Amino acid sequence: MNLKYVGLMAWYYGLKAIPRGPSYIIAALMTPLSLLFIVFIITKGELVKFAIVGGFVITVASVALSSAGDAAFMRLQLRMQDLYVPTRVSPSDYMLALTLSYLMFSIPGIALYSILGVIFHIFNIIAIFVLIAVLVLLVIATSSISFIISGMIKHVRNVWGIAAILSVAMTVLPPTFYPYNYIPRYALYVLSISPVTPAAVIAQSIFHLSPMLLLEVPVLILETVVLFVLARFLTRWREN
Amino acid sequence: MIITEKLTKKYSGNFIALNSIDIKTSKRITSIIGRNGAGKTTFIRILSTQLAPTSGSASINGFDILKNTREIRRSVVSIPQEASLIGIMTAYEQVKLYLVARGFSFKEAGDQANKALDELDLREFKNSPADTLSGGMKRKVFVAMALASNADVVFLDEPTTGLDPISRLEVWSAIGRIGSEVILTTHYMEEAQQLSEDLILMDHGNVIEHGKPTELLRKFDGMLRAETHEERNDCIKVGGTFIRYIKRDDAEKYISRGFTIKQITLDDLFISMGVFLES
Ligand SMILES: Nc1ncnc2c1ncn2[C@@H]1O[C@H](COP(=O)(O)OP(=O)(O)OP(=O)(O)O)[C@@H](O)[C@H]1O
Ligand SMILES: [Mg+2]
Repeated sequence: MNLKYVGLMAWYYGLKAIPRGPSYIIAALMTPLSLLFIVFIITKGELVKFAIVGGFVITVASVALSSAGDAAFMRLQLRMQDLYVPTRVSPSDYMLALTLSYLMFSIPGIALYSILGVIFHIFNIIAIFVLIAVLVLLVIATSSISFIISGMIKHVRNVWGIAAILSVAMTVLPPTFYPYNYIPRYALYVLSISPVTPAAVIAQSIFHLSPMLLLEVPVLILETVVLFVLARFLTRWREN
Repeated sequence: MIITEKLTKKYSGNFIALNSIDIKTSKRITSIIGRNGAGKTTFIRILSTQLAPTSGSASINGFDILKNTREIRRSVVSIPQEASLIGIMTAYEQVKLYLVARGFSFKEAGDQANKALDELDLREFKNSPADTLSGGMKRKVFVAMALASNADVVFLDEPTTGLDPISRLEVWSAIGRIGSEVILTTHYMEEAQQLSEDLILMDHGNVIEHGKPTELLRKFDGMLRAETHEERNDCIKVGGTFIRYIKRDDAEKYISRGFTIKQITLDDLFISMGVFLES
């Protein structure tokens, strides 16, 4: 592990990049905030707590998923991987460094939802720790999906479309903004293909908005492990 | 020291980009020259563990490129031909980040980054976002990474392409100061001739010549290049120019026939590759 590299990359390419390219921040906030607004209007405020809890999940997941475009751009256009292959940086370090950089862009979103959470009295200490753990797993799972896509793509131009489709399909469809028992159970299981679904279900349960569905805990953990291992091997460190 | 044995690369579709290369380098600076598509980049990418060979083997300072990947990656620097900088990061940040990736401490990386960027005359620009630098300056930032890296072997794929004459001299002298073995590719013959003690000439995936620049030019001893724009079938056609190699003593004769006479350079190794006309 080259943690110095990971940290420095997150600092330069994540935090310091925010004032240099603030549009990313707004992009990361757009979907969750618009959905929060719609949920608020349609349910006359009734489901707003769901939307706040889902907001954490969706902010993190959409930042990580849309980073596929950037990761492909780095590999194909900037040849960044080629430069870093012969160094003391492993594929996992490289993935972690990029993921952490993108995560910096979700900080304002997380802060905003935390403030809303306080206003609407949904927090308790234990739930906060569980939420953090869920978000960490979710970041690893979704950014692994990004790396898998970025590693398979041959032309940068193709990645933007795929990333946009995935970002919507994997974050808006799962029960991030509505109680998970609004949909039939089999549909929930189908949606569980996206790690966002188990993350959202667990988040709703720990804040006592929905009953607990314990099955989704091993699902989230398993998906995270499998996706990470897949990404690790599909991140082309030595091309063929 | 780099040793390759029957190193071969076939790209998909069975296109042979490297055809059983056997070489051994031991000089401090080796230049690889060859026309576009000769296989130079493929060769360098395989040696620096970015690309897998199809067959054959290679070692760098005794480490096998496939079996000792970890050791090779620690001791080798490779600046890709087509690498670009991250636009929103500064030159200083990118050199420092690269050095940290190589195992330098933050402080050491910062100091070395500053020193190398100053040496390449980038002092004024090192704290501007990279996308405000010119193309040549961006290229020099990568050379700064190699210069500061303190690696055992440095691969530079076309380090001077697109540089103005002064910048090219700066890069040459920087390359001269890199303490380790340097393998570079270039299309500038005078650069290869002045900078390197060892020259590898590649064509269509084969190494066709390997030796000291003076040795390779030995076959042209006592000869000159005569060229004309008039169509002739006893000359090598290069675009609209017709070239042949002549004895020094015959120069007058060719001038009177409308030929221009030139000194032999490394370019002539290529031009003469197909046909070698001795009058
Ligand atoms: N990824 C690839 N897939 C298929 N063919 C490739 C690939 N990369 C390179 N080639 C082919 O391999 C040959 C050698 O390419 P390479 O990039 O090594 O040449 P080069 O000597 O570096 O050329 P240049 O001077 O233009 O940089 C070329 O014919 C090229 O078309
Ligand atoms: Mg090349």
